[in-house]
Amino acid sequence: MNNIFIIDDDPITVFGIKKMLKASVSCENISAFDNGKMAIDQLRLDIENGCPMPEVIFLDINMPIMDGWEFLEAFLALPIENRIIINVITSSIDPADYHKWNEFRLKCFHYLNFKNKPIFKIETTDLSRINLAS
Amino acid sequence: MKSTQTDLNNSIVHQLPLATVLVDLSFNLIDASHTWHQFFPSKKDLNNPQKIFTFFDGHEGCTPELLEEYLIGNDIRTIRHSVMGKDNLQWLESTFAPWFDDNKTIQGTIIQTIDIGRQIQKDVELEQTKELFQATTEINHIGSWEYNIETEKLSWCKMTKQIHEVPENYEPNVAEAIEFYKQGYSRNKISMLFHKILQEGTSFNERLQIITQKGEEKWVAAGGKAIKKEGKTLKIFGTFQDINQQVVAEKRTKESERLLTTLIDNLPINVFIKDKDSRKILVNKAECSYLEASPDELIGKTDFDLYDNTVAKTSRDEDLEVMRSLKPMLGEETINVRKDGSITHFLTSKIPLLDLEGKAYGLIGMSMDITNLKQKEEQLRNLINVTAIQNKKLINFAHIVSHNLRSHSANFSMLLDFLIKEKEPKEKERILGMLSSASDNLLDTLENLNEVVDISTNVNLDKKSLSLNEGIKRVQQNLSAFLEKNKVEVTNTIDESIRVMSVPAYLESIILNLMTNAVKYRHPMRVPQITLTASNEPKGIALSVTDNGLGIDLERYGDKIFGMYKTFHNNKDARGLGLYIIKNQIEAMDGYISVESSVNKGSVFKVFFNEENE
Repeated sequence: MNNIFIIDDDPITVFGIKKMLKASVSCENISAFDNGKMAIDQLRLDIENGCPMPEVIFLDINMPIMDGWEFLEAFLALPIENRIIINVITSSIDPADYHKWNEFRLKCFHYLNFKNKPIFKIETTDLSRINLAS
Repeated sequence: MKSTQTDLNNSIVHQLPLATVLVDLSFNLIDASHTWHQFFPSKKDLNNPQKIFTFFDGHEGCTPELLEEYLIGNDIRTIRHSVMGKDNLQWLESTFAPWFDDNKTIQGTIIQTIDIGRQIQKDVELEQTKELFQATTEINHIGSWEYNIETEKLSWCKMTKQIHEVPENYEPNVAEAIEFYKQGYSRNKISMLFHKILQEGTSFNERLQIITQKGEEKWVAAGGKAIKKEGKTLKIFGTFQDINQQVVAEKRTKESERLLTTLIDNLPINVFIKDKDSRKILVNKAECSYLEASPDELIGKTDFDLYDNTVAKTSRDEDLEVMRSLKPMLGEETINVRKDGSITHFLTSKIPLLDLEGKAYGLIGMSMDITNLKQKEEQLRNLINVTAIQNKKLINFAHIVSHNLRSHSANFSMLLDFLIKEKEPKEKERILGMLSSASDNLLDTLENLNEVVDISTNVNLDKKSLSLNEGIKRVQQNLSAFLEKNKVEVTNTIDESIRVMSVPAYLESIILNLMTNAVKYRHPMRVPQITLTASNEPKGIALSVTDNGLGIDLERYGDKIFGMYKTFHNNKDARGLGLYIIKNQIEAMDGYISVESSVNKGSVFKVFFNEENE
């Protein structure tokens, strides 16, 4: 695993995910972003420069400036050929959020997971879907 | 001598004005007056003596035997007989009297005859009248009574006795008769009337009540008339009629009429009857008070005289349809607009009135005023709307709360899980630091939520008239260090006299939040400028706060700008709470807030205060 994005404005969650990732996978680049806007800007820059895309994204929903849904909308419009695993993470128990996720999942070329906080462990499916997809 | 005497006699007898005939002892006719021969035409030669019997031939009621008996009798007798005349039956009465000579010796018989036709006719008429009277009496239950003043005797006819329910042999007197009248008005009245007729001869006819022998109460019509001779009252004749059924029926009719009128008049529903041309022919009290007019003023009027033209047209169309189809219109909601423009909601029914041939000649209308109900319904609908909005807000708030609290508790769980598994003391210390900052965040969140709940639970808001400028000045003083540090230029063009209706704490919170926001989100290349202006709006004063800051992309964030925990800039001070709180405060005072903004130019927030207290 070369490249993982964590998009969350809560430093504690970012810390937690990083810690859990260290325990389960070896990854060279783990990048954290405070909101969707910063992440999408980085991705656009990377595409321009021909840099590799992240293989896994951990995405919070409630964020300032650009929230998780807005990020997804913008992300799907990017010219990315590989299927990327996106783990949508939220502390919300509003059923509307789950429905929204499902809508995205159905129309999405990438793999979308839905995870409710608190997270104690990174599942293998959070990082790899290759076997299932083939 | 004898012959002369006879001649003399003859000539006298001939001239007698009364039909007279002389008969001798041998029953021969001696002589007769010309008038007698008008009744008994002579049949043969007068010179030859003729038997009197031959003249009575063909007469009914007198046989020769009877005649002979009468002729030889020594006293005066009368016989009635009839004979068929030229055109009709002739009734005669003949009186037989003995004929004496000077020596008191009987010579024969004198017979005098009179025409009694008219008397007989009267007798028949009287008989008929009596029968008729009897029949009338029986059919109409009319009895009679008679009082003889001289003998003080009171007599009742059979019918009068029947009405009193006394036996036929009952003999009344005045005192007893009066006793039969019901004590009180009836008895007093009859006593007075009887006294008056005795003294002054005044006739009477009065409806009174008696109590019969058998104890039954009855209505009677008692009449009395004085029979006078030479100005002196001899007798009193009176009638006595049983009119109980009639009076009872009349009373019943009147009672049901009164019941119906009372009912219609006092129904809390407008009742009216209209004729074919929709003219009112009956209105009840409710209708009168609704139209503020007396019944006389309303009778004959149409809806066009009373209501707005369109309403009258609709009503007339309904009337025509009901009378055409003969189908009642039931419980329709209608709207009436009076000439003065006031609107009333009614639940109206119109029922066709049919004549004997089944054609409609008008209609009965009933309208119930449901304006109050309508208003209540409207209020209820508004309340439901308010509740729905509140409910939506509440659900939104609940999700925000749950999300925020959950995100903190999730962090706690996660960190504690790490802590338990962690062996390295340095890492443990780091996790503990995280835990403490998570706890601080939780406290902050709770404080923020408390602030929001405070606004929502402040039901009894006490709005006061406040000087807008004083409020601004107080905020400026509190922020003086902050404003100075950021070199903010504040321009205030608001007139000193302008006052707004607001909760004092809210006014300061609103100004403070808008001013700090203007500074927080200032443009990095510009000196922050804040301009405060006021304007008159329909419902009160509006305060505008204009800045030259970053601005917000309203097309993108539009409805989210006043949302809770929405932040739009990379600013560490942003809590995403300020605008949410002041929006709630403004709405709690029945005002509203609007925003205009363009990115990199600045924003204008406009607060509309509501001067009304409700």
